[in-house]
Amino acid sequence: MTEVLQAKHLSKQYPGVKALDDVDFTLNSGEVRALLGKNGAGKSTLVKILSGAISPDEGSISIDGQEVMIKSPQDSFAQGISTVYQEMSLVPGLTVAENILLGRWPKQKRLGVSLIDKKEILLAAREALDQLEVAIDLNQLASRLNVAQQQLVEIAKAISFDPRVMVLDEPTSALAEEEVETLHRVVRRLAGQGRAIIYVTHRLQEIPRVADSVTVLRDGRTIGTIPVAEATPERITHMMIGSDWQRTEWQRDAELGPIKLSVRNLNRAGLLHDVTFDLRAGEVLGIAGLLGSGRTEVLRTIFGLDPMDSGEILVNGAPVNRPDPISMKGNGIGLTPEDRKQEGLVLVFPVENNLTLASLRRVSKQGILNPGKQRKLAEVMVDNLDIKTASLGVRTRTLSGGNQQKVVIGNWLNTQPEVLMMDEPTRGIDIQAKEQIFVLVRELARQGLAVLFVSSEIEEVLDVSDRILVMNQGRITHSRQHDEVNLEQLMALVMEELDE
Amino acid sequence: MTDAVQSKSSAIRMKSSDLLSRSGLLIALLLLFLALALFAPNFLTSRNLLNVLRAVAFNGIIACGMTFMIISGDIDVSVGSAVAWSSALLGVLAIQQGWPLGLAVIFVLVQGALIHAGAGYIRVRWAVPAFVVTLALFMALRGAARLITNAFPITPFPDSFNFWGGGYILEVIPVPVVIMLAVFVLFHFISVRTVYGRSVYAVGGNEESARLSGISVKRTRIITFALLGFLSAFSGIILSSRIMSGSSNIAVGLEFDVIAAVIIGGTSLMGGEGTIFGTFLGVLFIGLLSNGMVLMGINPFAQEVIRGLIILVAVLISVARTKK
Repeated sequence: MTEVLQAKHLSKQYPGVKALDDVDFTLNSGEVRALLGKNGAGKSTLVKILSGAISPDEGSISIDGQEVMIKSPQDSFAQGISTVYQEMSLVPGLTVAENILLGRWPKQKRLGVSLIDKKEILLAAREALDQLEVAIDLNQLASRLNVAQQQLVEIAKAISFDPRVMVLDEPTSALAEEEVETLHRVVRRLAGQGRAIIYVTHRLQEIPRVADSVTVLRDGRTIGTIPVAEATPERITHMMIGSDWQRTEWQRDAELGPIKLSVRNLNRAGLLHDVTFDLRAGEVLGIAGLLGSGRTEVLRTIFGLDPMDSGEILVNGAPVNRPDPISMKGNGIGLTPEDRKQEGLVLVFPVENNLTLASLRRVSKQGILNPGKQRKLAEVMVDNLDIKTASLGVRTRTLSGGNQQKVVIGNWLNTQPEVLMMDEPTRGIDIQAKEQIFVLVRELARQGLAVLFVSSEIEEVLDVSDRILVMNQGRITHSRQHDEVNLEQLMALVMEELDE
Repeated sequence: MTDAVQSKSSAIRMKSSDLLSRSGLLIALLLLFLALALFAPNFLTSRNLLNVLRAVAFNGIIACGMTFMIISGDIDVSVGSAVAWSSALLGVLAIQQGWPLGLAVIFVLVQGALIHAGAGYIRVRWAVPAFVVTLALFMALRGAARLITNAFPITPFPDSFNFWGGGYILEVIPVPVVIMLAVFVLFHFISVRTVYGRSVYAVGGNEESARLSGISVKRTRIITFALLGFLSAFSGIILSSRIMSGSSNIAVGLEFDVIAAVIIGGTSLMGGEGTIFGTFLGVLFIGLLSNGMVLMGINPFAQEVIRGLIILVAVLISVARTKK
């Protein structure tokens, strides 16, 4: 076993957060290393540095003992590092073979014109695909492939560079079980050829099947590297979480109000399966789950943004036929969306307009806006939510992320909802603003609002919720009261592998 | 497991729907042909059919370049004005300024490519939407054409010049038809065999991927603009030969017939997908439709309404297909 990759003292600072803090990382030939960590632990930063998407502030990278400079994706490929990203990078209108060799098509010059050499392309692509031992028609257009085939073509593309190091960034997140097995076989095979492989994953159960060793990152630091034999799920979750986290002791009312929102057997092909739950007035119901578990889809489907195949949604006991945002708003339901810049705000609008965007009816008469009333509602919200803004008239774009998020929430509170669904309300905002949003959520619940709270940060869900639903592959797999579960148990439930 | 089955079957469904849309166009074309043969007087004569082909030749030549433009994810609304400008410029140079005709033709072709390359440069250098850049060209070129001609046709070209737009090969096949077919064959070859042609698909289908793979996105886009400018000038020259004058008032609204033909031919408005052969079918479709409506004596204003509706339907089909 020879050392292939050696990274030393890698650090990367972003405004307000140290994404990577003096990380050392070595990898041997033939080794498959699982890389784990919660959101924001530094996994993607490390992957981006290796793939040349960003440069580290400090530190060095060596391949086979030679220090290398990686300043662009091209450098990374040239130095023998190939990265397969989660996002698909295929070109739909080109064939599989052309995609595998994208940008490196064998050429022949005829009369000064570069022609592509179809035979050579097929040969070279075949060579890459043969290493995976999977059958995919090389002349097929990429737009005709299913997700698993696309993933395999991405890997073939990475192999065609004949890399020393391959980075696979959550390669199984979009795959079904049997496809995962194919992928594991491919990964083991590539390692058998002497390549070193970094395998980023969230699925604890696949680690023993595919990896030799495990490295866990937390808060931008390496917590440790252990052989796979020692990597029990308990040990890994413990490494991922640490022991310094404390949950907040909220004052919780013993009695909840009546059921506000009921969801019965909500189904959406491939995304949601028999989702059923009740939400009561004064209750904060959290949904914990990995990316793709269906947590966002539940909110979107209830709000009528996505169609449902079957199921029932009841508001205050009355069924809602064909939900859409307008009727749901009329029913007293609000949704603060996941992506505040794209979906939650009109960034070029003044703050006061964004605060009343969902309640224009309230501030107008016969379609004519009443600016005084609009301003008044906005002013009250800015006071209540402690929104830091130069004035009500400045563009919302100029506010910090946390204050923008408060504007999104304020916009929905102005509709006087009885149920508020919050999708990732703390994404990308600073700690202080997060704290304020938790306090706000608890306060709103105390006043009788029913809150459905979704976050990719499991601690947050555990901290703020009265009750927690765990979602996995579109199903609600567990339901726990907040005092029935601790963080490690909850994380284990979230990352649990479902057999099918 | 179920996911795997689902994704597989959806892949198959996509395949068959795609087959449907491709053969759908062929079937639509055949149905239109049959209907016209039955109901349009004098439709089914070799003379009329050759006339249809000649009528679409000028659009067809430009549609080849427009196909690349739309596959690359851009659009060009200036080609009609570019045709008029080229025709006017040819008249001014060859007749009023007394340049040798051959030299004037070459000059017009080169400036056509260069002006469009300039527009392409502005498109990539400042990331301006192609629609806006070519909208400016659409107005400026038409204005410039009228400016240099005072909006009067410029005559006469030497009689021999008429061969290119009005002549026949083997006494029956109109020369523009032969030229159009040659251009289609050439552009089909470019689209499937050249590095540039495949890069157009890459740039339009996934620009970021193409960039990261070391394909020069800017160069590909500028070449696409230049080719379309060249073809517009080329078509303008043949059209001048057909009408035997340099005119600033021709090809009004031509861009929309060309774009419609490309979209009807199955090229995705979102870029990344499309074929030259599909465009050929689209050009024929529009040509047959226009011809049939004239033969059936449909009110010319009603013809415009019908063509507008056909474009709308084609765009709806295109959007439905890309949503898949």
